[in-house]
Amino acid sequence: MKRVPAQLPKGARVYLPDEAGRKRQVESRLFDVFTRWGYREIVTSGFEYFDVLALGTDVVLQENMFKLVDRETGRMLALRADITPQIARIVASRLRDEPKPLRLAYVTNVFRWEEPRISHYRELYQAGVELIGLEKPEAEVEIVAMTIEGLHALALQRFQIDVGHLDFFRGILEELDVDAERTAVIREALSRKDLSTLERVVGDIKPPPRVAEALLALPTLFGHAEVLDRAAAYALNARAERALANLAELHRLLRIYGLAETVMLDLGEVRGFDYYSGMHFEAYVADFGASIAGGGRYDAMIGRFGYDCPAVGFAFDIGRSLSVMETQSVAVDLPGPAFFIIDFTTDKTGALSLARRLRDLGASVARDIIRRGLDESVAYARAHRVRRVLVVGSPRTPAGQLLELDLATGGERALAIAAVLENPMEHFPELRGTNHA
Amino acid sequence: MRDRLTLALPKGRLLDAALDLLHDLGVEGVDAESRRLIFDDDRRGLRLLFLKPADVPAYVAYGAAQLGIAGKDILMEQEPDVYEPLDLGFGVCRLVVAEPRELWERDDPARWSWVRVATKYPRLAEQYFSARGVQVELVRLDGSIELAPLVGLADRIVDLVQSGETLRANGLVEVAEILRSTARLIVNRASMKTQYAAITGLIDEMRACVGTKVGP
Repeated sequence: MKRVPAQLPKGARVYLPDEAGRKRQVESRLFDVFTRWGYREIVTSGFEYFDVLALGTDVVLQENMFKLVDRETGRMLALRADITPQIARIVASRLRDEPKPLRLAYVTNVFRWEEPRISHYRELYQAGVELIGLEKPEAEVEIVAMTIEGLHALALQRFQIDVGHLDFFRGILEELDVDAERTAVIREALSRKDLSTLERVVGDIKPPPRVAEALLALPTLFGHAEVLDRAAAYALNARAERALANLAELHRLLRIYGLAETVMLDLGEVRGFDYYSGMHFEAYVADFGASIAGGGRYDAMIGRFGYDCPAVGFAFDIGRSLSVMETQSVAVDLPGPAFFIIDFTTDKTGALSLARRLRDLGASVARDIIRRGLDESVAYARAHRVRRVLVVGSPRTPAGQLLELDLATGGERALAIAAVLENPMEHFPELRGTNHA
Repeated sequence: MRDRLTLALPKGRLLDAALDLLHDLGVEGVDAESRRLIFDDDRRGLRLLFLKPADVPAYVAYGAAQLGIAGKDILMEQEPDVYEPLDLGFGVCRLVVAEPRELWERDDPARWSWVRVATKYPRLAEQYFSARGVQVELVRLDGSIELAPLVGLADRIVDLVQSGETLRANGLVEVAEILRSTARLIVNRASMKTQYAAITGLIDEMRACVGTKVGP
């Protein structure tokens, strides 16, 4: 036998039919949530000029873009690594005169050259929204509430939304007055809540005591509403105070929505995109090591494309959502065709007219085209999770009748073909639910 | 009901001190000599896993254990995506570059341009040399690193030292220090948020125990 080249590049992945079915369900459940909140789909190009994409993209992510050269212009192109900068550019150029707010949704793939880990590949799928033109905390609550609704739509349990605000940390950084290299060390240590490294840095740069105390408190400033009280003592300047006031208002609104219990505050959470200008958040599910959704406010990004406009947004990571659903044993129904028609007659008109009639009613109908024995055909139908098998021209039924095998119940009965064509719903009550005619 | 927590422990040089710490927290009856890989402490609702030290970060990053104890050396080598909230203070050691004494007597590290190095820490070794503009050929080994220069497998090694006794016994001399390491408590990112009360409670208890031992 000829060897088939099966190797994929690192970070690429295939979704076989059952996996693709689950993926499609996750995407459509999330997209339904977006639609219910009044969001409309936007589709962007998978590749663009690199320098245009780079304008809105984080530096680290810029380095990790897949790049290629445009044959026509010789300019550098890049595959989309993050859809938000693309949408920001489109809003600044094509949608700036539209009445605000804009509510945009997407389901897309993005490409990032990074080490694959925890259900992350180099091509990843995201479903998310951008809410554009609102600077009020109400916009932030809307996207947090939608994220929680998305988690419910995926039937996930034991999750937590972790809300941070980069300006609290940036306020402390202003007081520290350190160079970019030191800032990177501090931010990296904070992202791991690594107090001992922070203590070493404080020992090196010897900041004023109140600044040192604030920096060393950051890794422990997480929890429920009481964090805001604890943090108040470390708000060193107006920037940090504004961040706290923003979070307090957000928390008040979340209480009104009845969502405060699901939300934790973490002022030491400094991961996430550099372009976040205010609150940002991530959704965690118990016993899964990585966040499965995240988002935040990015008021400065659309301005980089020449149109100042506040915005918030979030995205679900579809691959991780699928992994988490598997971890929590969330049952995803993957029904096969409702009908599978086997026709042993030579002219096949029975099969063709039945299939047409049932499909017109919205039912999924597959036909057995291969010539084989009934047992083999039924085994095939079972493997494809068929609900009902209709056999035309069976030796067990007279001409003009079909034999129906209900694979769900194991029952069988003979039906007149003309009667089924005349009134299918009488014989198959489930068709009432699928009737789109 | 109290959340059940799983703590991944490294077998080997850090284990005794880790078990001492757990004993101070009231976890009793752990038999470190036993070959069992799992121990359940029902009183505290704590499950212990006994793992190869280099495996601890993976268990915690993926959430198979909510917490773990790992050397800073391993954390820097693997860079797992976990929280690292507490320096436990024990397991003090250093990652160093070492070479045979006769090489050391005529060697000048400032003139290295290409070296062959045997190590369990390929990433840290590569980072260290490339930051100095030195090209490095790595021979990745899993144990008895000190043997490599003696049999001509590599000129130099990058390895952990505690007292330096093993180096001396094998005729090796330390040339440079790459990092200092102690044992750290690591925590899964999601668990820190979804099991906040149980985990911060345990961290606070550990911090209190560590604080009294190490002193100010």
